[in-house]
Amino acid sequence: MREIIKLGLILFIITFVAAALLGFANEVTSDLIAQVQEQENNKARQEILPSAESFEPLDESEFNTIVSENDKVIEVYIGKDSNNELVGYTVKTRASGYGGDIDIITGISVEGNITGMKVVSHSETPGLGANAQKPEFQNQFVGKSTSSKITVVKTVPKDNEIQAISGATITSNAVSNGVNMAIDVFNKLVK
Amino acid sequence: MSLKDFKNGLIDENPTFVQLIGMCPTLAVTTSSMSGLSMGLATTAVLIGSNLVISLLRKFIPDKIRIPAFVVIIATFVTLIQMFMNAFVPALYASLGLYIPLIVVNCIILARAEAFASKYGPVRSMADGLGMGLGFTAALTILASIRELLGAGSIFGISVLGSAYKPALLMILPPGAFLALGILIGFKNWITRKKAMNN
Repeated sequence: MREIIKLGLILFIITFVAAALLGFANEVTSDLIAQVQEQENNKARQEILPSAESFEPLDESEFNTIVSENDKVIEVYIGKDSNNELVGYTVKTRASGYGGDIDIITGISVEGNITGMKVVSHSETPGLGANAQKPEFQNQFVGKSTSSKITVVKTVPKDNEIQAISGATITSNAVSNGVNMAIDVFNKLVK
Repeated sequence: MSLKDFKNGLIDENPTFVQLIGMCPTLAVTTSSMSGLSMGLATTAVLIGSNLVISLLRKFIPDKIRIPAFVVIIATFVTLIQMFMNAFVPALYASLGLYIPLIVVNCIILARAEAFASKYGPVRSMADGLGMGLGFTAALTILASIRELLGAGSIFGISVLGSAYKPALLMILPPGAFLALGILIGFKNWITRKKAMNN
């Protein structure tokens, strides 16, 4: 009996010290981490909507109406230039790919053109679907218009078509679905 | 003594090729040379740290509760590294972030705590951690480079075989990990046996 108490006490001391250390470290780092992440996100938004200087989240009630129609929309940011004029939107959407969810952020200018898109996270097959993160694939979306949906083809692409990644049709379709969802959001916002 | 401990981990008892421990990250992350190297180095850092702490606390921790105590210490260590890395060196965290939580469950860490650090002093334990860690790193980098070379035609992202080479995608898919690892272990055994015969 006495041994159990002793062992329990020692284990308690170890976990207590561990918890205290972690709590302290969290206190020191959590604000910094939030800052770093915010910077990272802003940088990613800047890349796909280069004309914008600053970003702010879309008005909450407006965002909630969008989400109630399509819960695959994760975040919508408004991009403004140095004169505080609206230049475009960035929309983060979640599509289901071959290996799981694919998160995509799409930048769309107020004129209704896609200014860039980025696959933020995915769990696709390396060497096949994972090629969706390569610039050669992502840049295909740049300049496409939001007047119609983007379709995936296996031959040389025309107007609103993009060429599928070879061996990864499901991934290509998923990514273009994600972009199409962003187009939908955009069309609703400018209406 | 410390030098011998270091060499022991690096070659004689290489965790991947000889002890066959830590197979999960070995098979999973070796799809490119860079991720193999990164995972190896991150593991090495944790291994040195956890070996040191466990060696210092070895007289305080009773035998009966050593495993839960080790797990708590290792997990705390990894989480601390993850937090500080994320806050102060975000660039490094961005490339390694994915692998850090995986280190907690890497059995090399617990195996070295149990087999070495809980029995020997801090200096030798750190030497053991460094040796085992670099042995793991070397193994992962070799395995990942072979897979990347055959599966994508490049090493460390630099094209080696040229665009005419049609990549054998199988090599960077899961079966390729087993194939490459099996052949490498066979090769290592062949060398060891040849050496033994020559003696």
